[in-house]
Amino acid sequence: MNGTPLIEVRGLKKSFSIKKGFLGRTKYLNAVDGISFAIRKGETFSLVGESGCGKSTTGRLVTRLLEPNAGEVWFDGQDISHMSYNQMRPLRKNMQMVFQDPYASLNPRMKVKDLVAEPVLIHTKLTAKERDKLACELLETVGLNSQHAERFAHEFSGGQRQRIGIARALSVRPSLIVADEPVSALDVSIQSQVLNLLQDLQEEYGLTYLFISHDLSVVEHISDRIGVMYLGALVETADKDALYDRPLHPYTQALLSSVPVPDPTLPKERIILKGDLPSPVNPPSGCRFHTRCPSCMEICKQHVPAFREVEPGHEVACHLYDEEMMKLAR
Amino acid sequence: MPDNSIGMGAGSGSSLPLEAAPARTAGRFKAFYRKFRKQRLAFAAACFIILLLLVAILGPFLTPYNPDTPNYDALMQGPSAHHWAGTDEYGRDIMSRLIDGTRLSLAVSLSAVFIAAVLGTILGLLSGYYGGWLDRLIMRGSDVLFSFPDLLLAIGIVAILGPGLSNVVIAVAVFGTPSFARIIRSVTLSVKETLFVEATRSMGAKDSRIIWRHIFPETVSSIIVNVSMRIGGAILAAASLSFLGMGAKTTEPDWGAMLSMGRDYLSIAPHIVYFPGLTIFLAVLAFNIFGDGLRDALDPKIKN
Amino acid sequence: MTAHLLEVEGLKTEFKRGDGSITAVAGVSFHIEKGEVLGLVGESGCGKSVTSLSIMRLLKDTPGKITGGAVRFEGTDLTKLSERDMRRTRGNDLAMIFQEPMTSLNPVLRIGLQLMEPIRLHLGYDRKQARAHAVHMLKLVGIPRAEEVVDDYPHQLSGGMRQRVMIAMAMSCHPKLLIADEPTTALDVTIQAQILDLMKRLKEEQDMGMLLITHDLGVVAELCDRVVVMYAGRVVEEASVRELFANPQHPYTKGLIQSVPKLRQKVRRLDSIKGNVPDLSQMPSGCKFAPRCQFVMDKCLAREPDLIPVAGASERKSRCWLTQEENAEGGERA
Repeated sequence: MNGTPLIEVRGLKKSFSIKKGFLGRTKYLNAVDGISFAIRKGETFSLVGESGCGKSTTGRLVTRLLEPNAGEVWFDGQDISHMSYNQMRPLRKNMQMVFQDPYASLNPRMKVKDLVAEPVLIHTKLTAKERDKLACELLETVGLNSQHAERFAHEFSGGQRQRIGIARALSVRPSLIVADEPVSALDVSIQSQVLNLLQDLQEEYGLTYLFISHDLSVVEHISDRIGVMYLGALVETADKDALYDRPLHPYTQALLSSVPVPDPTLPKERIILKGDLPSPVNPPSGCRFHTRCPSCMEICKQHVPAFREVEPGHEVACHLYDEEMMKLAR
Repeated sequence: MPDNSIGMGAGSGSSLPLEAAPARTAGRFKAFYRKFRKQRLAFAAACFIILLLLVAILGPFLTPYNPDTPNYDALMQGPSAHHWAGTDEYGRDIMSRLIDGTRLSLAVSLSAVFIAAVLGTILGLLSGYYGGWLDRLIMRGSDVLFSFPDLLLAIGIVAILGPGLSNVVIAVAVFGTPSFARIIRSVTLSVKETLFVEATRSMGAKDSRIIWRHIFPETVSSIIVNVSMRIGGAILAAASLSFLGMGAKTTEPDWGAMLSMGRDYLSIAPHIVYFPGLTIFLAVLAFNIFGDGLRDALDPKIKN
Repeated sequence: MTAHLLEVEGLKTEFKRGDGSITAVAGVSFHIEKGEVLGLVGESGCGKSVTSLSIMRLLKDTPGKITGGAVRFEGTDLTKLSERDMRRTRGNDLAMIFQEPMTSLNPVLRIGLQLMEPIRLHLGYDRKQARAHAVHMLKLVGIPRAEEVVDDYPHQLSGGMRQRVMIAMAMSCHPKLLIADEPTTALDVTIQAQILDLMKRLKEEQDMGMLLITHDLGVVAELCDRVVVMYAGRVVEEASVRELFANPQHPYTKGLIQSVPKLRQKVRRLDSIKGNVPDLSQMPSGCKFAPRCQFVMDKCLAREPDLIPVAGASERKSRCWLTQEENAEGGERA
């Protein structure tokens, strides 16, 4: 693993306009509100958070399926924040996506070999025969039988379809794969197969992953670094072990303690958060989390905490660590 | 092992196996046929349409008399064993002329609807896929065309281009285009939002590939349904134009033109009008019922 | 024989599909006592949800049909009840909550009205009493501002709140048995923690039996007393929750437990079960798990093992030839 970032995101913002009612005023949903992170080559960076926290939108901003309202996305030393679709096209050879829903993300009218080789068709000049051969090899790589190349996607189970999706992403040897909840729709016994496959492929091809998930156990298993999102903003970023051993942000702590542990003998000290996720249309003032935070202070209601490094490689946005920062500054 | 898709997924899946296991689409046509077959009326209409098509193709071999040869010994005779539908004012066999005219009427309406379908589909795809000013331009254009009564528009076009069957085809095609454009645009808008189209964009596919390889196939069933629904209207429109003397020449065995000629003899020989009128009525009705049936059979939202 | 709260015996449910029929539930037996939470665990297509729908007799609008077995609720066979009696039982003694709260709430009716309807019907309260009871139930499930929420429409509530309303509705007539089908699957983890907490509290306070259907072993460990593991329409293992996690008997259970990533487990590779869940219409002969099993023997492919008690443990059963061999060895040693 070398240290240069493959992806760098600075102050990224994206809002969607929503109209409320007939003649209603246009309101804005701030799906992603000023986030920054970097992913080094060969590492797996995960974004975790609950539904509506903006993690999927971030994935689509990074791959430029959406255009940011503000901020920058740098891919391999190039600013791609505002490239047009046609300018982006050749770059997409190097960044591919794997989607959550293996049922909806594969065109039901196409044969598996055509699905798998579609990026190759788009980006290279290989002949149909060469593409078929490559598709068969790729199917074997992801653990499917190459004899299935002539079938349609609906003839496969969810896990197998996700393998097809992965084979497709792999077909043009990208440097980055953005995987948006790739195992969330799969059964547990299949989920572990796909996770293992993703890890094997990373080792073999030196892939960089941006992994988006709501499942903290899955994220822990696959990631090197993790960013925790809440209501469109990053609240904590850290290396895996630091995050799971010493979660700093109260939200991360609550999130980790909420995961049901498949072991009935373990005593549970659970932080149960009050209330629901606030609406991202009217996010709370100050720290976004203050309405549910067990250690909320006065300052949290007024001032947005800065996102900064508290330990090397461990960033957090929380007023609880203001003092430590002051000490460090002195 | 290629098992069928039971694994619908723990997180989002529905729990009933009957929903989790969609029927293999190898039987897609079979399923469609079974659904269509259930609608008896539409099935009968389909049979009648096949009969019409056969008549159109085999016309010259089926006519009992030469449709253009006058017979001054048998002017304006009523239906009889010799002339099933009687004869017209020149003594020509009406049955033969109707059979011969089938080809003309179907050719005019089918080609008009075909042109409308091609144009409308292209416009609808572009409009729905790109949106923006192109979408506004195309949709406002079709709004303008929609605001004319169909026939008036066709009359206007023929008036500009001059009478003749080829101009009738153009006129009928022009007023059929907006309906295709609208339908295909709305299908395009929804297919554009599907995950597999987004996935294709994420791969970096050209717009043309996304439109033709991924979106167009999803619109085909809507196109087929709309074609079958529009043919009836096109037959009627072509007949109306000929009736008004703006289409087929009166010498041609066109259903509308026959109606027009027979009008003068309505009081003394009503059968000259009845039979062409009945033929137009049946053909239009058959295409309309067939179109409804097709729609019901192809629309996955309508179950049995 | 003392009557169990619920006793399912040899339940068989088939679905019409095309010309033939497929067996979604193939002879499932288990029982639930008062005050006990039984977990029904398995992956999609294993028949766990169909089992619950069969118990509730809610298959009427589906191509499914109960073709054998009995479902005894306090001694009465529910499969033999008339539709009318069944409806009464469903409201009074049996209640069910589903994965998607939105699909079981009427979007155009106020929540209070939907809550009050069963209360008035089954408890015979008048409007005022019913409303008071509805508010009480909403408070019980931890809904803030319950007096106002009563007059809200379902879409005005968040997913977690809707699920609370569903639970309130299910609990409002004091059912003796609650069937919860993936009650927290559609919810976020922090909300799931709230709901699990609530269900644990209600179970202790209300002393009712609960059948919890889930694929999530974490939820099982949290909430259940005993567990039934299903695979391909069959029960493959039955055990107390502690025994199940400490010493799973059936290779499928073992694989399932091992393939879930656990927090702070720090393994580089997950153990996984090879292959896919078999299609219900193309079942292997013999043990249904044999094609995916790492301990598969010739015997497994030839004949399906019975669900047999595990020697040396009470109320433990496993459907595996290995269990039988171990039982036999244990017997010889003794």
